[in-house]
Amino acid sequence: MRIVVCIKQVPATNDAVIDPETKRIVREGVQAILNPFDTYAIEEAVRLRARLGGGEVIAISMGPPRAEAVLREAVALGADRGILLSDRAFGGSDTWATSYVLSQAIRTLGNVDLVICGKQAVDGDTAQVGPGIAAHLDWPQAALVSAVRESSTKRLVVVRMHEDGHDVCELLLPAVLTVVKGINVPRVPSLKGVLTARTSEIPTWTPGTIGADPAKIGLDGSPTRVVRTAPPPPRNKASLRFTGTAEVCAGGLLRELRKRSLL
Amino acid sequence: MKEHIEKRAYHVEILPPKQDSAKLDADLAGFAEKYRRVMASGYCACITDNAMGHLAFQGHEVIEELKLAVPPGQVMIHLNTFHTRENLDEILVACRRQGIRHLLVISGDGSDRLPKLQPADVGATDVEAVTSVELLRYIHRKYPGDFETGVAFNPYEPPEHEFAKLARKCAAGATFVITQPVIAKHPVVDRLLAATKLPVVLEAWMSKKLHLLSQAVGYEIPEDTPFDPIATLRLLHQLYPACGMYLSLLGFKTQYDLIRDTWSVPSGKETR
Repeated sequence: MRIVVCIKQVPATNDAVIDPETKRIVREGVQAILNPFDTYAIEEAVRLRARLGGGEVIAISMGPPRAEAVLREAVALGADRGILLSDRAFGGSDTWATSYVLSQAIRTLGNVDLVICGKQAVDGDTAQVGPGIAAHLDWPQAALVSAVRESSTKRLVVVRMHEDGHDVCELLLPAVLTVVKGINVPRVPSLKGVLTARTSEIPTWTPGTIGADPAKIGLDGSPTRVVRTAPPPPRNKASLRFTGTAEVCAGGLLRELRKRSLL
Repeated sequence: MKEHIEKRAYHVEILPPKQDSAKLDADLAGFAEKYRRVMASGYCACITDNAMGHLAFQGHEVIEELKLAVPPGQVMIHLNTFHTRENLDEILVACRRQGIRHLLVISGDGSDRLPKLQPADVGATDVEAVTSVELLRYIHRKYPGDFETGVAFNPYEPPEHEFAKLARKCAAGATFVITQPVIAKHPVVDRLLAATKLPVVLEAWMSKKLHLLSQAVGYEIPEDTPFDPIATLRLLHQLYPACGMYLSLLGFKTQYDLIRDTWSVPSGKETR
């Protein structure tokens, strides 16, 4: 079984600086890390490989050259190899163009049975790339997967979350999943894994490598534009404190919630 | 453990390289140098397990990767409850394969990045959280006879509570005790030695920065408090001749050669 995990390198800080011209997050000079949700994707892929008695887990990432670091981290965490998709032409891609690039890489790899992504990247927070990949590939998808109940080389039965709770669905492979925190407990990299990852070859693929249509990548391939990026307004920090016995406090809380039409 | 004390073998704490080390090769080389030095001295290397919640590589994997020898009885691994069950079993199987028999079993310091054993993982049905007691039971149930398991004892905690915990740990399979740092004669340590027949190893604080113990001892130690670790170690040997010594924060460059002559067998005193 061949499993592809799509990962992203994201800024390590909550104090994002926005470029006033491009309206995008400034990444140069900022410490970067593996998108936290992607660690769950990598772990799930590695577990599925073990559960299904073998196969290959390939981590791919679209980003600048320094994104190679997160691919090495993926190898340290158990992926068999990594591939970097990096070229100036990819720059400025929105989620649609990004998912197109990733889907082209998946096509180029060939014989891919499953694509797993983290729920969302913590810098963009759109959660659109995984579903976008499925759309480009015309594969079935399940987003916000919290558990894989059954697995074989032909099908998966997964639990996925939605606003009202969760449902259980079956997907025939090949398919795309996005996974949530809590689907597993990501392993800590082993020393062997880290040392192996240091010397792993991480090839860089360009638009030519993946046969990308220039009109579908970068800014040209992005139907959306970032108009404005701003931190959310500060939350109302007012608070109420209830004192007294548990019953008194509970009664006070209940009255307050009803007063605010929250209950 | 008794044989360590009889042979005057210090327990020397060595921290493995951290996961986020920017100079991993140098850190691995430094670990190997310290380890080999401890082995050559006939002492016991005690390798920590994500100490203070800082992600580090595991002792058994560093030993394996660096192809370090494991002379019988000269390696002790700390093992805490912040692992997955799979990882815990990997560690124990690896230790058994490498001939590492001594484990210091502790509850441990967690962090966001570290998973925590759940009661169901270790077959504990009567608790809400896994402590060193449940971990001890699991080790002895699943790996009977493979390991000698030590436990921690904190003389600075409320004594009745700490002795009750020790009793539970002993019932779960503990065969030796290692204390928190001791720097002088301590009534709770005296009580411990009177209360148990198990070998007791006292932690000797080898850093001159005594104030770093403030949190452990529960009162503020001024930063400029003078402290001579080597002299204190000699004092501990005199005060507690039947105890082993666990050396934490030992300076390998400045102190290692000095400890060689600090442990002399007092006449007429038997080990525990």
